Amino acid sequence: MSEPAAWPEPAASPEPAPPPGSTRTGPGRLLIAVYALFALAASARAGVQIATKFGDAPVAYLLSAFAGVVYILATITLANGSRTARRIAVLACSIELVGVLAVGTWSVADPATFPDATVWSGYGSGYGYVPLVLPVFGLLWLRRWATAHGEVGGTGQGAEDVSADGRT
Amino acid sequence: MNSVVPATIIVAGLVLAGYAGLATARNRRMGVDLLVGLGVLEVLLLVLVGVIVAKLASGARPAGLPTLIGYLIAMPVVPLAAGLWGLMERTRWGPAVIAVAGLVAAVLMVRLHQIWPVIHV
Repeated sequence: MSEPAAWPEPAASPEPAPPPGSTRTGPGRLLIAVYALFALAASARAGVQIATKFGDAPVAYLLSAFAGVVYILATITLANGSRTARRIAVLACSIELVGVLAVGTWSVADPATFPDATVWSGYGSGYGYVPLVLPVFGLLWLRRWATAHGEVGGTGQGAEDVSADGRT
Repeated sequence: MNSVVPATIIVAGLVLAGYAGLATARNRRMGVDLLVGLGVLEVLLLVLVGVIVAKLASGARPAGLPTLIGYLIAMPVVPLAAGLWGLMERTRWGPAVIAVAGLVAAVLMVRLHQIWPVIHV
């Protein structure tokens, strides 16, 4: 969580195109791999469920499909790494975090609505709670990246700002 | 169905995950050793796909056939994708991707058993 991350470069340039250190390199490489995995798992599973037994648990299957779309969006935008893509990535990770918390709570409070599990039910317990942790790491990574590249709160940010990203 | 292949894949996947995780912790890049490990995992997964296809060919069917077919397609892709994606990263995070692939292979065996209980672990 708090590795002394080795940034490729400090990158002090004010308004550059995505510098060599893109959001898809370094820790982002791992993040995208896990996102891609969940994008595939969630959307493929939802696809099969909706196609074969939609009536069994429509709410659960639609939520799984929605989760799959969000994972696909996060995977693509993190891998792309342009300014617009990073904004969409922040949005996707945020939706994901709200989704896993909301659906997790909903599934615990009202199990009858979820006769079959979604990726997000039980706060992602069926998937080792990775769905709960993943958006947090995604948001931390995006914020850390932006801070290291001088995109947060204006220019001239020092290294001490990078250490402060734990409170995102 | 014989449980040797899935059990071997679980062990191999976990060993690979541990070894690759160690490389990440020690700030090592991808090396030939990790690629060999991925290759072994790939071969084991292909053997398992063969075993399951043979089982299907003999007429046996699981309840969730579409899901099983999805797994048969996805399983051999995992080490390949991880190898390619990890090779592009010349830092400690390359091995981290390989570690995930090892864990995923192990988890897939457990899921396979849930999809089709004749596949023992």
